[in-house]
Amino acid sequence: MKRIMKYWNQPSTSPYVFVAPSIILLLMFSVIPLLTAFGLSLFDVPITMNKADFVGLENFTDAFKDRRFINSLKITAIFTLLEVPIQVIGALIVGALVSKNNARNNFFRAIYFLPVVCSATAIGIMWRMILHSNIGFVTACLQTMGLGRINFMNTPGLTIFVVSFISVWRSFGISAVIYVTAIQQVPSSLYEAAQMDGAGPIRQFCSITFPSVRPTFWYILMTRFAGALQIFDIIYITTNGGPNYTTESTVTYIYSRAFSSSSSMGYASAMSVILFGVIMVITIMMYRRMNKEDA
Amino acid sequence: MKKKVLALGMAALMAASAMPTMSVAAEEPITISFWNSFTGADGDMLVELVDKFNEENEDGITVDMDISADFNSQLSTAFAAETGPTMILSSSAYRFTYGDYLQDVSDVFDKTTLDKSDFIQSYLDYCSDGDKTFFVPFQVVGYYMYWNKDLFEAAGLDPETPPTTWEEWESMAEQLKDESKNVYGSGISYDYAYQIAHIMQRFGGLAVTKDGDAWKANFADNEGYTEFLNMYKTLIDDQANPVEADTDSMMSAGQVGMTVGGPWVTAGLDTAGVNYGIGLIPQGAAGDMNSVEVLGFAVTTTASEEEKAAAYKFIEWWNTADEEGSSPALEWSLANGFPAYTYSVQENEEYQASPKLSAMSAANPDAPTDFIVDSNFAGINSIISDVIPEMINSVAFDSASVEEALNTAQEKADEIVAEYN
Repeated sequence: MKRIMKYWNQPSTSPYVFVAPSIILLLMFSVIPLLTAFGLSLFDVPITMNKADFVGLENFTDAFKDRRFINSLKITAIFTLLEVPIQVIGALIVGALVSKNNARNNFFRAIYFLPVVCSATAIGIMWRMILHSNIGFVTACLQTMGLGRINFMNTPGLTIFVVSFISVWRSFGISAVIYVTAIQQVPSSLYEAAQMDGAGPIRQFCSITFPSVRPTFWYILMTRFAGALQIFDIIYITTNGGPNYTTESTVTYIYSRAFSSSSSMGYASAMSVILFGVIMVITIMMYRRMNKEDA
Repeated sequence: MKKKVLALGMAALMAASAMPTMSVAAEEPITISFWNSFTGADGDMLVELVDKFNEENEDGITVDMDISADFNSQLSTAFAAETGPTMILSSSAYRFTYGDYLQDVSDVFDKTTLDKSDFIQSYLDYCSDGDKTFFVPFQVVGYYMYWNKDLFEAAGLDPETPPTTWEEWESMAEQLKDESKNVYGSGISYDYAYQIAHIMQRFGGLAVTKDGDAWKANFADNEGYTEFLNMYKTLIDDQANPVEADTDSMMSAGQVGMTVGGPWVTAGLDTAGVNYGIGLIPQGAAGDMNSVEVLGFAVTTTASEEEKAAAYKFIEWWNTADEEGSSPALEWSLANGFPAYTYSVQENEEYQASPKLSAMSAANPDAPTDFIVDSNFAGINSIISDVIPEMINSVAFDSASVEEALNTAQEKADEIVAEYN
């Protein structure tokens, strides 16, 4: 025991002791499940996982022939293209507007942040009732104004915009708060100098604020991209992929294949691996672009 | 004499000292785990009843219940790790997925005081596969027709005479709709596969049946299904049925004249104070049907013989009436509005006095109880989750004609059926 303690107390080995908890957690909850998913994708495995037939790449070829999977990739892409720019740019603008520390801005920051701490289930049910085509609050308001009824949650082509809006509403507060923190780190002397040179608020934002928070911008862009490509909870609660599969994201479809219907874990894993590949490629591209800018 | 008295005294003492030991052996405490997914208000009642059993039973049994919203994944993970609960409460269709992990419980009638002849045979059949019984019935989930009596009256219809055929449903839906008040006559949801399945099987029979030794899908060229989809499309086009996923809320808000749903619909209607009636789903060309889903208690393969015996005690307690004639099964039916699965509960005065339960129990018990597919077809979940939603969505949103929708459904169903042939 003493020899073991002596070994770990050496300056050259003790750092490993400190990083061990993180490494163990990372292995257990990220690396091993990831490798297991890769392995499962090559097998035909039922939900109970009590038997596994090796099928090679068949699950992958089946996925690319599956109309619902292709449709889900398309829907996920549309959702991402709608959600991410609004989220990233909108949060930046809002963050800039409420960056100064005063009572009014503190109040607004709290309001924007409120949906972030609410559960997706509560938010989904709330919006579903507010936008209900018949008994919803918005429907009643529109009718009172003589504008007729809009079936927000049941119109193919429209509902994906509604779901994107709910997602932005739910999570843009966190992006805004991160931007506020970044903006507050920008030296005030830069703004003072710009003011002396006659730069207005918009010029200050474009020439000082935005370049200064560029690393934060990239961080939010990358995390939101990865998050949007994995969208599940809001869709599952509000539309469950409907109407007519026009809001069925890839993860929603993967979940249904894994747990809800014919429960094919191998097939669901193969689709997860494909999605993982897509997210990884996009993230690497963004990361390279970010590094290029920094250089 | 003294010796004899002493000997008798010693014998009595030994006998007396042996008695508690025997009693302890018979009542050795045992804890059994019990998993289910009753997360709603009925879950609270289940907790109360399980607590009551834990307090009342004299066999030293403790039922440790775990209610999970993610019951299916919890169960699959546990079974994959070769662990799991002693007892589960689930749909009898779970036998198709977890059959390898469920014990045969057909001996529950030999090892307890439960009388097999008291259980409605068709529901027991639903829980069985060949000689094996995987579940002891707990709850029968049928679908029923609900109509808003006030809307009937406002439309000039007799509130006590709901439709008995689908032709009447269609014509009454047209009369009930009131565009000025956003009121729809019919409330059939495009996003409610179970509702659709209960209705469409009245029109065109079961979607998968046995053809000799093989399973056969019956979507393409099914006249009944064609008729149903045409009716649904007409109702939508005429704005007599909303294009809406959540029609239950509309029914509770008094915005729908008629709908089809499970017993839980009554909770929303009662809370909202809707004046409504309950009846059997109108019959179609496929004839008399009593399509239901049966939920039941099952004992898993992880349970030991002692644990299985303890689970049987709980099931026995659930279905046994006390001196006043009440049983947990009866209490459950009365409180939650689910029809009984035993004749003794159906014959109970309090049960018969409930108009809701009487209406729900009015189905012909001899009518087939199969729900959408032959009750022994293991691919039921795939038919409900993958085939029916795509079919109804494509018709509701005009992405396919009725014929195309049925042909696509046939192709998908054929693929599913092929896995089980």
